[in-house]
Amino acid sequence: MSKETPIISLQNVRKTYRMGDAVVNALDGITLDIMPGEYVAIMGASGCGKSTLLNLLGCLDQPSEGEYLLGGQNVSHLEDDLLSKTRGKKLGFIFQSYNLIQQLTVLENIEVPLYYQGLPPHESREIAVRLATQVGLGERLDHRPNELSGGQQQRVAIARSLANDPIVILADEATGNLDSKSGEEILGIFEELNRLGKTLIFVTHDPAMADRVSRVIRLHDGQVVEDRPGGLKQKRKSPEPAPAEAIPNS
Amino acid sequence: MLFNATTFRTLSNPRHLKRSVLLGLKSLWMRKLRSLLTALGIVFGVSSVIAMLSIGEGASYEAQLQIKQLGSQNVIIRSVKPPETNAATETETTYIAEYGLTVSDLNQIRDTVPGISIVVPARSIRNFVWHYARNAECDIMGTVPWFPEMRNLPLTAGRFFSDIEMRNRVNVCVLSDSAAQELFPLESPVGKTVRLEGTYLRVIGITSDSPQLDADSNIGNSSSTTDTADQDQNHQLLMPLSTMLERFGDIIFQRSAGGYSWEKVELHEVVVKCDDPDAVVANANAIRHILESNHKEPDYEIIVPIELLRQAERTKQIFNIVLGSIAAISLIVGGIGIMNIMLANVTERTREIGVRRALGAKRADIIFQFLVETVILSGAGGIIGVALGLAIPFLVSQVAGMTTIVGIGAPILAFTISVLTGIIFGIYPAKRAADLNPVEALRHE
Repeated sequence: MSKETPIISLQNVRKTYRMGDAVVNALDGITLDIMPGEYVAIMGASGCGKSTLLNLLGCLDQPSEGEYLLGGQNVSHLEDDLLSKTRGKKLGFIFQSYNLIQQLTVLENIEVPLYYQGLPPHESREIAVRLATQVGLGERLDHRPNELSGGQQQRVAIARSLANDPIVILADEATGNLDSKSGEEILGIFEELNRLGKTLIFVTHDPAMADRVSRVIRLHDGQVVEDRPGGLKQKRKSPEPAPAEAIPNS
Repeated sequence: MLFNATTFRTLSNPRHLKRSVLLGLKSLWMRKLRSLLTALGIVFGVSSVIAMLSIGEGASYEAQLQIKQLGSQNVIIRSVKPPETNAATETETTYIAEYGLTVSDLNQIRDTVPGISIVVPARSIRNFVWHYARNAECDIMGTVPWFPEMRNLPLTAGRFFSDIEMRNRVNVCVLSDSAAQELFPLESPVGKTVRLEGTYLRVIGITSDSPQLDADSNIGNSSSTTDTADQDQNHQLLMPLSTMLERFGDIIFQRSAGGYSWEKVELHEVVVKCDDPDAVVANANAIRHILESNHKEPDYEIIVPIELLRQAERTKQIFNIVLGSIAAISLIVGGIGIMNIMLANVTERTREIGVRRALGAKRADIIFQFLVETVILSGAGGIIGVALGLAIPFLVSQVAGMTTIVGIGAPILAFTISVLTGIIFGIYPAKRAADLNPVEALRHE
């Protein structure tokens, strides 16, 4: 539909699980492109395959069939270590239950992805302090996760997902465990990130999210049943070329 | 593949190592009690190895020292009272038991066995020695002037008797240290006199106590005349053999249960010194042949200290094997304890592993993280174990007065093995952590 390279490109991707004698098609031939700068919500009832799709997009799992190109690189048949490397370099993860490491402080949690990239400690410390300040936790750098509220923990998780400057951020029900006020704050941060050019993929079953994103993809029984623009007004239309700094490492 | 190039790169990077160690310490600190209990297995394993090794080493050193004091080039022949026959018991009041080594045996040995330098004959009886009202039950031994040199028996005061005193049958004697203290608690005995039955002997020297060996090993103090004698006292009185033969004759009169007995023994003990240390065993066999042809009954025994020494070394080897097995078992038990806890840790931290994998950790990173934790645990256990293991022998030698020898090798070996145990028993849990499917690990509650 456009000459521009999609940041994510799935071609007829299938994922099958064997459960006893039955073969379950978790993903049944999905083809879709996501352009740089898009803010996509993946929706659907539970069991529709959205978690499986998220795991595939996050390079945590590999397709049984079909091709997956992430930032122009085919990652559908990579070996384990290279998958780890891809996750560490190109992807940011935000989970429903925050998933911070309890024995580490706020700063140390943000530094974890940088540590696996082999960054020298003083550089990663600098980045972590900057990101923690950006998400409004400049006062709590040395606190442990269990000393923070849910909203604060999720902000740490966002800072962590940004640490390695990923090309795509994957959020799995990121507001699911939060009260509406904290959830609103988190969504505010997401919108801000998107405005700065980050590509975001938000998995949710909350229909209200459709108005807050630029594109809605609805899954049913492992197939895309709906793919339409969302309610979010973007300054740039998605087909327009994104600024170069929005796609680092590409 | 468990250890690929990445693991080694991770290991060789000091920054990674430092971070991993800090992280490991943090994770272990979060579960303080559990970590402590786990390390205890290694602590006890390591400390018991070091303690047993040093106590065993000390005991074996003492045994070898005692045997060496008998002289490694010596062959010791002793008279042994043969088992009593029926004829003897029927006529017990008048029977004179005649047995043991004779002067002619001695001459024959000296003439036929080659390479023998000195022969020390000795007679020994047990009796009370008196100094005014004080008395001590001593082994009275008649011997020759070169006895101390043969037996590695150092003099602590005075001198030993000379050839001239031997030839002239002078009434002199040398006391062992313990006998001297018993008889002369406040003064130096040199120059004083002691009474032995009707004879007065002048004390001319003091020797250190001769080694007290196990009664079982048949090389206890030479009290073949009295079987019921108090063995744990080692009082000794040494006098010229010539004097002894003249004063007391060669028949020993003794009161025993149910009557009297007389024994006629010419020599109780003969020490043969061989010039060539390698010929000791051969010479001992030659002597055995001579005695076998001279004596109808086996009324003698031949003790070869160098054989005893070899036996002691063999015993020590067996001891070391047993000890090694115990050590290995205790460390395996400790290692299994560590593995058990690390597996529990892996299960408990499945979520964390999933998160780390999602954030870019390779399998090698996860393996490394858990291995470092295990090694910290076992290494800390090892250090505490070494400290405890060094303290135990010290306390044992302070409290029980036993000799303990702590070598530098035992602590190093025990510590190294404890760290190795950590690595070996840490590999499986670490590998299990790394093999977790990231998707399932993230979903784990």
